[in-house]
Amino acid sequence: MGLREKLTNNRFFKSIYREGYPDTDRKRVLVIINSLALHLHPVRIPKKALKVSYTWGLGGLSIWMFVILTITGVFLMFYYIPSVKDAWWSIININTNVYFGAFMRNMHRWAAHAMVILVLLHMTRVFYTGSYKPPREFNWVLGVVLLTVTFLLSFTGYLLPWDQLAYWAITVGAEMGGSTPLIGKQINVALLGGYQIGQSTLIRWYTLHVIFLPLTLIVLVSMHFWRVRKDGNISTPVYPAPVEATAGSPADGDGAPEPSDEAAEEASGEAEEQAES
Amino acid sequence: MARVMQHEEEEKVIEDPGERVHVWPHLVSIELVGALIYLLALSLMSIFIRAPLVDLANPEVTPNPAKAPWYFLGLQELLLHMHPALAGVIVPGAVLILLAAIPYIDRTRAGTGIWFSTPKGLPITKFSAVYTAVWVVGLVLLDEYLPAGEGAHGISPLLELYGFPPAVGDIFVPLVFMTFIPWSLAVIVKRRWNANTREIIIALYTFFLASFVVLTIIGTAFRGHSMQLMWPWEIGAPEGLMER
Repeated sequence: MGLREKLTNNRFFKSIYREGYPDTDRKRVLVIINSLALHLHPVRIPKKALKVSYTWGLGGLSIWMFVILTITGVFLMFYYIPSVKDAWWSIININTNVYFGAFMRNMHRWAAHAMVILVLLHMTRVFYTGSYKPPREFNWVLGVVLLTVTFLLSFTGYLLPWDQLAYWAITVGAEMGGSTPLIGKQINVALLGGYQIGQSTLIRWYTLHVIFLPLTLIVLVSMHFWRVRKDGNISTPVYPAPVEATAGSPADGDGAPEPSDEAAEEASGEAEEQAES
Repeated sequence: MARVMQHEEEEKVIEDPGERVHVWPHLVSIELVGALIYLLALSLMSIFIRAPLVDLANPEVTPNPAKAPWYFLGLQELLLHMHPALAGVIVPGAVLILLAAIPYIDRTRAGTGIWFSTPKGLPITKFSAVYTAVWVVGLVLLDEYLPAGEGAHGISPLLELYGFPPAVGDIFVPLVFMTFIPWSLAVIVKRRWNANTREIIIALYTFFLASFVVLTIIGTAFRGHSMQLMWPWEIGAPEGLMER
């Protein structure tokens, strides 16, 4: 009995993945259908889409950065104190006294920069491959909103160490916001939580950074993933339809997507499973 | 499996994804390897490169230069050349709205799933990038060095010298350039390549991307003391920022 057999052919593993290790085509279908995380994917994808030089995996790596940021961020929250008096000293504490503190803070910072770059590159990839075209229009819009949320997450985090960089970045940012036509003053007060930079500013940006913006991102990115599936999975080339191909097709002028063959496959997979039990 | 879809404007296309493979193991293995490579790279970076932390915030000491995080340095560069409402609010707002509008302007399905869509796409992208970069660098240099009398430099001070109100140099002239450059680019691409909507949109997105990249590089590596233009090796440590 090989090691893989030992690990996968037992009661506990099978309580999670009922079919055991996916070594047959049927099990490869079921492992995707039965797993919440893997179900983000279709069961099968075009071989073309596997080419790394088509997508460079940029969307997936963006969300991977978000996962790393969440884990390192929670770690930092154990030690960070969001008060004007203590914030900077708590960072010094993280850097010098906390086991793995400096490592986790460094990783949080570098993953944050990486996420901004990856999201920008992902947008650029989607643009140049024409993957925003119908029926994916709205997912592109969601993507633009997610780009904005990414910028906001990064910028709100930039302020938390309460060092000179942070303080003067808020100053510049609040002045820019304050120059908005008509409602500049109101925006300035909303950004600062008052008329000058202080405790109310810090707690405001902290709350946005650790609760509101991550939750917003999770909700929006769930919609983003959902729509990738609903809009026909990864984009593949389309060709002008030859005349005889359209002649026989029923009138589906409303553009509603037909049930995909994955859906049919999944349905049959589920039926198969039910028949088995 | 080919299927036929009919869309508005009677565009009839066939989606032909070709041969298909199982996600397990073909895709999940690639994803796992990619995730592990990134985790490893980030870990090494986090071991060897420290995240910056400077002195405690001090309202009395203004750093010089005071720079935003790198992804806002393009906007901060714009701020040197135009009214803050334009650079800080209206331009980024308009850019986001126009980006979101792209699929509602370019509504055809042809060209999906192919890098640069058509054989003309890549040459148009390269031309647009160079065209934009030349304009942006040229305008930044012009605004920095154009003599405007009594040691002053720049387009706006020169116009004020000739009696124009500040709004002309700070708002009108930047708006003219920010409309003229993409418009002229679209006209050139249309004439030279007989470009369709998708190809014109490629030119305009490239205009956005190249502006962002060039402005960010200028703001990051070519702006030193008092935000003056200089070579990267001439930029010393900023005043008022002591690394901890």
